[in-house]
Amino acid sequence: MTQPLIALRGVTKTFPIAAGEFTALAGVTIEIEKGEFVAVVGQSGSGKSTLLGLVSGIDRPTRGEVHVGGTAVHLLREREMSAWRGRAVGIVFQFFQLLPTLTAAENVMLPMDFCGIWPTRERRDRALSLLERLGVADQADKLPAALSGGQQQRVAVARALANAPAVLLADEPTGNLDSRTAESMLELLAGLVSDGQTVVMVTHEQSARRFASRTVTLADGRVVSAEQVAHA
Amino acid sequence: MRSPRWRKVVRDVWLHKARTLLVVLAICVGIIGSGAVLNKWALLRRVTHGEFSASNPASATLRTDSIDATLLHRVRALPAIRRAEARRTVTASARTEAGWRTALLFATEDFAKEIGVLKPEHGAWPPADGAIVVEASSVEFSGASIGQPLEIQVGDAAPVALTTTGIARDVGLAPGWMEHVVYAFVTPATLARLGSSASLNELQIVVRDPALDREAVRRVANEVRVLVEDTGRRVSDVDVPVPGRHIHTAQIDSLLMTQGAFGLLAMLMSGLLVLNLISAMLTGQVREIGIMKAIGARGGQIARMYLGLALGLGLVACAIAIPAAAVLGRLYAQFSADMLNFDITGFTIPFWAFGIQLAVGALLPVLAAAVPVRRGSRISVGDALRDFGILGRGDNATPTLLRRVGGVTRPLLLSLRNAFRRRQRMALTLVTLAMGGAVYLGALNLKAAIVASVDLLFGTQRFDIGIRFAKPYHPDSIEAAVSRVAGVARVEAWSSGRAALRRADGSVGNAFPLTAPPADTRMLSFDVVSGRGLQAGDANALVVNRRLIEDDSSFVVGREVTLVIAGRPTPWIVVGVAETGPSAAAYVPRDALAPIVSNGGASLAVVASALAGPASHLDLVQRIRSDLTDAGIEVGSGQLLAQQRRVVEDHLLLVAGFLGVMAQLMIVVGGLGLASTMSLGVLERTREIGVLRAIGARHRSILTMVQVEGLVIAVLSWLVAIPLSLVMSVALGDAFGRVMLKVPVILVPEAGAVLRWLAVVVVVSIAACAWPAYRAMRVSTRTALSYE
Repeated sequence: MTQPLIALRGVTKTFPIAAGEFTALAGVTIEIEKGEFVAVVGQSGSGKSTLLGLVSGIDRPTRGEVHVGGTAVHLLREREMSAWRGRAVGIVFQFFQLLPTLTAAENVMLPMDFCGIWPTRERRDRALSLLERLGVADQADKLPAALSGGQQQRVAVARALANAPAVLLADEPTGNLDSRTAESMLELLAGLVSDGQTVVMVTHEQSARRFASRTVTLADGRVVSAEQVAHA
Repeated sequence: MRSPRWRKVVRDVWLHKARTLLVVLAICVGIIGSGAVLNKWALLRRVTHGEFSASNPASATLRTDSIDATLLHRVRALPAIRRAEARRTVTASARTEAGWRTALLFATEDFAKEIGVLKPEHGAWPPADGAIVVEASSVEFSGASIGQPLEIQVGDAAPVALTTTGIARDVGLAPGWMEHVVYAFVTPATLARLGSSASLNELQIVVRDPALDREAVRRVANEVRVLVEDTGRRVSDVDVPVPGRHIHTAQIDSLLMTQGAFGLLAMLMSGLLVLNLISAMLTGQVREIGIMKAIGARGGQIARMYLGLALGLGLVACAIAIPAAAVLGRLYAQFSADMLNFDITGFTIPFWAFGIQLAVGALLPVLAAAVPVRRGSRISVGDALRDFGILGRGDNATPTLLRRVGGVTRPLLLSLRNAFRRRQRMALTLVTLAMGGAVYLGALNLKAAIVASVDLLFGTQRFDIGIRFAKPYHPDSIEAAVSRVAGVARVEAWSSGRAALRRADGSVGNAFPLTAPPADTRMLSFDVVSGRGLQAGDANALVVNRRLIEDDSSFVVGREVTLVIAGRPTPWIVVGVAETGPSAAAYVPRDALAPIVSNGGASLAVVASALAGPASHLDLVQRIRSDLTDAGIEVGSGQLLAQQRRVVEDHLLLVAGFLGVMAQLMIVVGGLGLASTMSLGVLERTREIGVLRAIGARHRSILTMVQVEGLVIAVLSWLVAIPLSLVMSVALGDAFGRVMLKVPVILVPEAGAVLRWLAVVVVVSIAACAWPAYRAMRVSTRTALSYE
């Protein structure tokens, strides 16, 4: 039996707040196989962004285990975490989070620069190739401020793919886009999945379910349903 | 620069030009402040040591009767002597635009001297018979110029106009403008024309072994004294300076010490400002740090980026500040050299000085950035993206007291609370500004202490005019003649002389002036440190001043000492120690000294005037001179006490003046700190400002809010500066007292000075907040609310 690409086992995450303690996730267990497109849905405060934070190593579980690609993420030390994250995980944020002083191509090159997986002379070519794949090659030398929201998000996806990570994590990737651009973004992610990329997407949009292979629904920090989506 | 991360660093710098400029300016101020002092020190040290040594200063000077070639030959033949020369120094008066001034004329047979070498600067050299060459530091004071006559009067002889034919420098002399003396060089024949004796009476010697210390040189000088006395001559003085030590070494040391300390302080304050700015810069970059870490950046890589940025800014600042510090250092060295009567001949600053400035300038921002960078690079991605910032969670930093403040308007309350939101940043800004205030108040305190000391010093001298006679006269005849002059309130005839301590081994110490008022004098009251002052009935009582004890610790209250006066050893009992000024001096009863030096005669008269104002006093001097001449009493010179006071003050206030300049520099650094803090505050609160605008805040409200926040910090710094200035005053007073003159430490700053500093800090605050307040007013509601 093969190991799942992502496995969360009995994961609980609590945050200290003024009133005491807030439990964002309570004993969550999820397994995600390679090549899946999982949509994590739920209402605001259900714990879906926390879950993504735990998978990416941005947060650590209070209890439980998080394994990604055979790495026990919950055991990594902080300095190991960044290096692991740069190689194994690509993250797409709701507000794009491109660095404003770097061009689109330079934003894509930045993870390669930090992780040093790609030789220096190949980095720009790879960045341009990713931007082309995402349909924004003509925007390569523009600063983020000169791009539309949809273009910025495509550059953010290209950046997330820069080091060819095993998992692409997207936190509300369509949350800041108009409906037509959002649709196009979801199609793009689905296209990546069809090329073999594993994608875990947090979203509160019901329409996003159409593109996912599985939907995990969270409520009050617990998994309330995990269902395969039957595509037509 | 191919790497995107370094491109980010460069573009961030460019994007935040104003902040970058502030960091560079802060480093520049630090480097310029300390670098200029270092450069000046390097230049001055080389010149003072080099030029002074090159002048081949005398190891000792003996004053005796006339010196001839035979005596010089015998002295030169002594094995311990390398060189011996003779000269004569005559006290005279020179007519300047401001009236008659004291002049010291130096005469020698051969001006191609090898001891105390003179450096011709302009015109002819050496002086011809009937001509005069003026010492460089006296030129401006005397108003002399080449080709013009300078009137000289010796004693009561008729004034003679001598043509000024040249200007020469004697680096062994204290500056004439500072001493209020016209130094000049003439031939013995010219002296004779002026009515003075032309014989040479000062024997200057240089010992063969340059490594000898002062005591060893004194032994050699004693050997020479014995030889001279064996020829039947009388030796009145033996003066042995500390080998290699310039007459103004104490002032040089004092200046260098305070300048060095304040250079370091400027650098420290600049470091605090850089620390503040880089902390703020990183706070503004927290989200981007989070993103970079989220996409794989390690803490070390982030740290290298920002430390590299700090290094880069340091190097840019060095490129601007090091040349500026070199220019300032040279100007300052020239100024200081003028003060010390040196001429700067070379302006090449040594490489090591540049090296130190480059190292400090480049490393200071890196060191200042180290702590915030470490903290920033270690922040977890989660915290960074949640934007709690590096320095804590904003509003929780507001002190409880402020959260309870009532009875003030909401905008004012908001300003008060805003001032405390970034407590660490506020503390650094406050400390920087407060240090400027402490130096400002400390400098004013020291100045006040110096003036108070001079007041104290001259307060003990209850007369306005000193008249020195060409030869001694009976005290009663002097007092009778002077008291008849209209405008004279009181007069006392004093005796005076020079004395030197005879030690157990037979050698004598340096000569010092002896002043001998009547034992029951009403015109001199001592500020007694220990023992007592002179009393009626004292026979051989001796009161020494504190500076004399520092030169020779043999003077102990109650101990009998032997003083050589006019070549004769005489016993005295030390009865007290008094604080009477920065030069060594001692006091004995007139009736005890006069028989030894002048057959009971008095050599000077001190006069209390019934008239007020310097012009009346000058007029009174002329009338006293005239009346005394009519009475057959030959007057040597007359001087106002106010002139003497001016000489002392010029020496002492030099240091306080420098401190004032340093305080101004520090106020600039403090102002920069406040400006940067307020700019960052406005930047960070752009969204809040937008919200305030959205709910109806007007331009004026926003402007007031920012200005009040700045004023809160400024006023707090003012409060902190007051106790800090006490520490500064104690340290400065102590340092000053050790090298110059013991001054009373004034612990409580003068109310006027404290209020002046409040006014300064308020003006600095308003100026520093002007740009941030303008920026805040210009924030559009739409932009502010979309600000990420």
